[in-house]
Amino acid sequence: MASVTLEHVKKIYDNKVVAVQDFNLEIKDKEFVVFVGPSGCGKSTTLRMIAGLEDISEGILKIGDRVVNDVEPKDRDIAMVFQNYALYPHISVYENLAFSLRIRKIPQEEVHRRVVQAAHILGIEAYLDRKPRALSGGQRQRAAIGRAIVREPQVFLMDEPLSNLDAKLRNQMRAEIILLRRRLDTTFVYVTHDQTEAMTLGDRIVIMKDGFIQQVGSPQEVFEKPQNLFVAGFIGSPQMNVFDAELEEDAGEYTVVLPGFRLRLEGERAQLLRKRCIASQAVKLGVRPEHAQALFEARDNSLKGSIAVNEMMGSELHLHILREGEQNVILRVPTVDLSPAQRAILEAGQTIHFSFQSKVVQLFDPQTEQSLLF
Amino acid sequence: MAKRDAIPEVETYIDHQAGVIREVQPPAPRSKKAAERRANRAIYTALVIISVVWLAPFLFLVLQSFRSYLTEDGGMVSYLVPKAFSLDNYRFLFEDGRYLRWYTNTLTIALFVSVLQTGMVLSVSYVLSRMRFRGRRFIMNMILVLGMFPGFLTLIALYFLLKQFGLTQEGAIPGLILIYVASSGMGYYISKGFFDTIPKSLDESARIDGATRFYVFRRIIMPLSKPIVIYTILMGFMAPWGDYVFASYVAFGKSDSYNVAVGLYRWVNTLDFQGYFTRFCAGGVLVAIPITILFFLLQRYYVEGVTGGAVKG
Repeated sequence: MASVTLEHVKKIYDNKVVAVQDFNLEIKDKEFVVFVGPSGCGKSTTLRMIAGLEDISEGILKIGDRVVNDVEPKDRDIAMVFQNYALYPHISVYENLAFSLRIRKIPQEEVHRRVVQAAHILGIEAYLDRKPRALSGGQRQRAAIGRAIVREPQVFLMDEPLSNLDAKLRNQMRAEIILLRRRLDTTFVYVTHDQTEAMTLGDRIVIMKDGFIQQVGSPQEVFEKPQNLFVAGFIGSPQMNVFDAELEEDAGEYTVVLPGFRLRLEGERAQLLRKRCIASQAVKLGVRPEHAQALFEARDNSLKGSIAVNEMMGSELHLHILREGEQNVILRVPTVDLSPAQRAILEAGQTIHFSFQSKVVQLFDPQTEQSLLF
Repeated sequence: MAKRDAIPEVETYIDHQAGVIREVQPPAPRSKKAAERRANRAIYTALVIISVVWLAPFLFLVLQSFRSYLTEDGGMVSYLVPKAFSLDNYRFLFEDGRYLRWYTNTLTIALFVSVLQTGMVLSVSYVLSRMRFRGRRFIMNMILVLGMFPGFLTLIALYFLLKQFGLTQEGAIPGLILIYVASSGMGYYISKGFFDTIPKSLDESARIDGATRFYVFRRIIMPLSKPIVIYTILMGFMAPWGDYVFASYVAFGKSDSYNVAVGLYRWVNTLDFQGYFTRFCAGGVLVAIPITILFFLLQRYYVEGVTGGAVKG
């Protein structure tokens, strides 16, 4: 168990491509941190630098109190689970699990004890004699995790471990990783491109793009207070709706103006804007699909559009609404309380009015794309 | 009209693995099978003809080797099948010390070279496949270009170099081993291609698990590369086994240092062509035997894929 500290870590490849820019992060002991971002954002590269599989171009990497920039992977006391499992195909699952222990010349009884224990935790005792190719995807993934567990490492690194599994198995393994984490109680660094995984697994999420950290925070924080437009769009599903709007300031009162819709900002949001002395300006207005309400009758001071697509998800409907023939707005409407008449209104081709409240809106500067509420 | 519009009845079954309903594919029409058979027949005929063309010289060699040089004729004759089968030629080879000496020389060289060369080739290939260092690409291109020049171009220079170290004539055997092994790393291409297909994450995983580079090479990569290791060993064995040009120059004039190819050739060339021909043939047959056995034993590794299950795929 140990903390991991990255100070001004940079990765520049030989061809001068900068993969990771000035990465600063302190991962606390026993913390579960998730790196998330689109492909090519540098999340895997950062993880591989922690593992020692990539050289660090600049900056300092510490595991515990030890600077490990030039320490070989084998001496860092870490374990890593790979996306493609990386099981050794020519030896049995048992030997795969025992591999690292045998290298460390751990006594046979101890090896056996740890392998059996890890297999028990992961429910793969029955497959220990098999070769990896005789296992299903989920079992291979478990074996790969098992190989990491037996090491009892200070830090667990996981590089998109669930990406190769089908959707159902992925949900199941996600829950198992949560359980496993509770059981092992050690430091985890987890890389994924899937924001659901990031939200459900992480104590803290590090959102990255183009080699830069966009935001670091708890799942709740990054969801409720996205620092910029990218984070707002990346976290949450379906994506946050973004409108071009005007912010009007009048004697400390703030109003967001859209064609046909005015919304006075109240409470914390207005206070924040006042504190930052924001004047009237154009803004990007963000509203999450679940925070906008469909109105079932025409109402003044509301937005309207025609329903292009109506996706029935079971417990909720996803409405894709074309506003003024252009913009696609998504609304999530819970189905449980809908009357038949209301349901009829939500069919494709119908015109629908919708609005939202002051406490759910996000405001971003259109130039810098930074949040005005931060 | 009505008939054409009717939906044909199709038998279906549920593919549980994919979770979809599929149509049962009707058996292919008979004529297609017949066409396939005709095509097969043509292919087999062609293959038989080719193998006859290939095997004929060998058959010729074997038959000649059984014609006695004592009772029948040791030279070239106008008929193919000997009048009486005899082992006189073989007996001569085993009783005359020269042939056994040459055979031992050849075997010694081939064994040493195949072991040393395999080590060299596999190490070079692994390094070029797995490590990234300055000049890697340059080295690979350089070797490729150099490889396009025939090795014999260096023959004279090599001869004088070896002579300086006393590695010609009497010292021809270590000299030849040195020549064959020295440039063998240049033959890295095929095994590097093979190593490239083994996922790098296996190396990385093992290194995190505590293995050194060499341990990874020995315990992970080698077991997964059996086919290519065996291929490399075979190639390392065969090149010196059948070499004539280098061997004849380096061992120049020193019969005790000849290999089989040089020795046998000198029999038919400089001694008595008519007298030694059948013994030459018998020598040739004996040379072919170990290689043939090796191939039969190891051929299955040529095609065997071993990475199944390593990664999803």
